[in-house]
Amino acid sequence: MRDLKLMVQRFDPFRDSEPKMMEYRIPQREGMTVLDALLYARDYLDHSIALRFSCRQASCGSCGMKINGRPRLACYTQVAELGGEKVVAQPMDNFAIIKDLVTELESFFAKHKDMMPHLIRADTGEMEHPSAEYLMKPEELEKMLQFTYCIKCGLCTSSCPTVATDSDFPGPQALAQAYRYAMDPRDEGGEERLKLLDGTHGVWRCHFAGSCSYVCPKGVDPALGIQLLKRHVMSGKAPHREGAKVFAASASQK
Amino acid sequence: MKESRLMLIQYATAVAAVALVSVHLVMQGVIYPYATAISFSNILSVYRNGFYAIFLEALLVVVLVHGFNGVRIILQELRQTRSWTRLVDAGTVVAIIVTVAYGTRTVILAVFGGVSV
Repeated sequence: MRDLKLMVQRFDPFRDSEPKMMEYRIPQREGMTVLDALLYARDYLDHSIALRFSCRQASCGSCGMKINGRPRLACYTQVAELGGEKVVAQPMDNFAIIKDLVTELESFFAKHKDMMPHLIRADTGEMEHPSAEYLMKPEELEKMLQFTYCIKCGLCTSSCPTVATDSDFPGPQALAQAYRYAMDPRDEGGEERLKLLDGTHGVWRCHFAGSCSYVCPKGVDPALGIQLLKRHVMSGKAPHREGAKVFAASASQK
Repeated sequence: MKESRLMLIQYATAVAAVALVSVHLVMQGVIYPYATAISFSNILSVYRNGFYAIFLEALLVVVLVHGFNGVRIILQELRQTRSWTRLVDAGTVVAIIVTVAYGTRTVILAVFGGVSV
């Protein structure tokens, strides 16, 4: 097996005026991922390479980066699927660079938090001291299930052309999560959440490029969620709350 | 005004513009041959048809509202300060009012005889 030519974008904002590419020769092995190659380079060739990773199995979303021009998870991308000869690793677009391949995610998580990604209910006492389960129909779960698979890796946001120009736009990840909670039958904060999205830099700034859905490593379709969210924002009404009623009936039987 | 209302106007004017511009193109390119359609005397006679004068006024309003609102959306994505947002919103309203007023003036002058062959 031929050596892999690994190109890594290096940049330290405190020392460098502009990013530069550095080349490393990596001995390949079968099943090698881009993360494996990067770790080999860091462990044996250049200890100063900065990268972020954790689970190595596409669960944590830490190793998002631009690989051969496309946002991907380094742990979920095999060298062989890229041709096996040359791999170019760069930090994600639309995020400030902390060092090399590590990007700043503070504003990304702040926008996620702005969407109130939790159940909002009037029965706060029941939330703190539950007496029964919140019930949900399978078809209600189906409407939002794919959006629960989001691992917050930021790849969708890095590929979004609107985020590139509008820093106040929440981005596909946050909007998809807004839809996920708006569609949750146990949630009662729909109108409150929808109001957040109806501003100058809200949900309407999505022009449906669809790149977010194209790059998502978990098969989530944020572009679909955003378009469906627009329907609810336009009407100003949150979806039907049948699940909450089911819970109330269940609790009253006890 | 809520952004959802502005977008509703944007979608409605887009649909209306497709219908109105289609009729306009058929009138100017098919029913009247193009060379005849753009002659000054023909344009005046078209304006003096009451129905078509109203049609042209509607076309003017729909296209200008849709166009300027579209430019507003693009400009709002360029900068995110509150003063920029207000400036662009106010500028859009002023631009629509001024251009609709100027276009309406042309329609009125043509219909009521301010302009003659």
